Amino acid sequence: MKQLGFFLLFFLFTSQTAYAEFDIQFAIDQAKTGDIIHIPAGRYEGNFMVKKPIILRGEEGVELYSQNNNPVLKIEHAANVSVENIMIRAKNKGIVAHEAENLELRAIEVKDVQVGIHIQRSKHVRILENRVVGNQSHYAEKGNGIAVFKSEDIAIEQNTIEQVQDGIYVEEVKQINVQRNKVKNSRYGTHFMYSSGVEVLFNTYLHNVTGLMVMMTTNLEIANNTVSSHNDFNSYGLLMYDTQQAMIRKNSFQNNRVGVALQKSSVIQIQENRFQMNQTALEGTKVDDGSIVNDNQFTGNILTARSDHQGFRLVRNFYDDYTGIDVAGDGFGDVPYVAVSSFGQWMVRQPVYQFFVASPSVMILTSLDQQINKTEQNLLVDNEPKLLSDMKETAFSINSIQLLIGLVVSMCGLWFWKRGMRV
Amino acid sequence: MNRWITIVILCGAILVGCSDRTYKPREIISETDVCKICNMSIVHNEYAGQIVLKNGDYEIFDDIGCLMEYLELNGEDEVGAAYIKNKANNEWIDIYKATFVYNKDYWTPMNYGVLAFATKDEAQKWMTNEGDGQLLAYQDLLTFNWGIHE
Repeated sequence: MKQLGFFLLFFLFTSQTAYAEFDIQFAIDQAKTGDIIHIPAGRYEGNFMVKKPIILRGEEGVELYSQNNNPVLKIEHAANVSVENIMIRAKNKGIVAHEAENLELRAIEVKDVQVGIHIQRSKHVRILENRVVGNQSHYAEKGNGIAVFKSEDIAIEQNTIEQVQDGIYVEEVKQINVQRNKVKNSRYGTHFMYSSGVEVLFNTYLHNVTGLMVMMTTNLEIANNTVSSHNDFNSYGLLMYDTQQAMIRKNSFQNNRVGVALQKSSVIQIQENRFQMNQTALEGTKVDDGSIVNDNQFTGNILTARSDHQGFRLVRNFYDDYTGIDVAGDGFGDVPYVAVSSFGQWMVRQPVYQFFVASPSVMILTSLDQQINKTEQNLLVDNEPKLLSDMKETAFSINSIQLLIGLVVSMCGLWFWKRGMRV
Repeated sequence: MNRWITIVILCGAILVGCSDRTYKPREIISETDVCKICNMSIVHNEYAGQIVLKNGDYEIFDDIGCLMEYLELNGEDEVGAAYIKNKANNEWIDIYKATFVYNKDYWTPMNYGVLAFATKDEAQKWMTNEGDGQLLAYQDLLTFNWGIHE
């Protein structure tokens, strides 16, 4: 009986072999324009090529894999191609699209790859609801989750990406919408270079080296994202280098080494964001006068802001370490808030000083700064600091289970204590 | 006797201290090294550059374009040596003696399209395999228009 059980188990574990009866490449080659190819469940080895307008739809349990360095699926010089519901494993690249138009990649799971999805010189591409998981090696030794080069009109939405170099890498792209994605445990969550017309909305970036890296890019909107727990030696929540015309609005930057850093950037508006528990909330070097930081909430940060001698404009923000009062009753402090601190400025020049943050000597220095810098009039000064936070108050509530457990423990303690007293 | 030995050792140490200092390149540490100019972490070692300052400090760069920007901003007075990776074999080479090739379609971390080689032969061989480019010397880089080109 036991032997029969082992015999049946053997077939159970070996039933996931390639589905020999179905030839995917043959089906693609035979398909007519607009045909839907339904791929039956099973594992298929090969390097598949699509060059015509078709829909590839996998049944539950379809896996394509390759043991060589060529992409598992390549879409080339084709329009109106759609690929849905398949799993891909590859030694190198999962899916490569070159000069494709009206391409949709949906519900694809790409695992153990160097590069998940690679799009080049394409237009009107939608990459939706996919999952990309890289291999276990260091991020310097692997590629990007989703990479888009020299393309136009791209939507990357609701993807989950982890353990890759850059979750979403975008280079020389016009009009791109990155929305509701989740990227974690990678080098950069999303990395833009030389792009324009960029929207980054409702994404979550967690535990990467840097959440958002924006370089040489113009015309951006970055709104409603959660950027949290980027606290390596060189980490940033959001770093903008040589970037122009950006609106950064209603994001949450929590527990990062630096929440937002601006370098060599101009016409940047940072508005209505929450900066909580960052080592440094804001850092700016070579920021132009046209940039403004207004109506944000700064709570629980070790340093609110640091900059080079140019500084940047702070207007109507709430600071939890502001100690002024509001005699006029207009909701704004009567004396300016001065964010400048000697130690903060030194950290800009020598990042290694970050290891001394919150040390006793730095605390004394910062306290002295707060007294001396009250006369500062230009650098990192907010003349209208808000006195009330816009953060929602949590409604009073009682957790009945916790209350009950607390009562029982207290009563038991009291009972044991009384019993002990009698003895 | 012991006194004489001590004096000889001290003199030797002083003479060694007075000799010409050499500025050797160091290996890149991807975990912590970031480009001094653009702040990108160095993950494509084969394009990296470094400057060894006369005070012994190292400045690391992800792309030859960033290294040249540093030299333009800070001058060369404090520079002990400057190195760039040879694209042919991933070895450090002196940027002042290197041969460079530019082609707008060559990918580099900053997409400036300039690669470095130890010799002209290596550069020619690269161009034969990867597409023709424009040969440049260090002096040409000083006036080169850094950026992406259409």
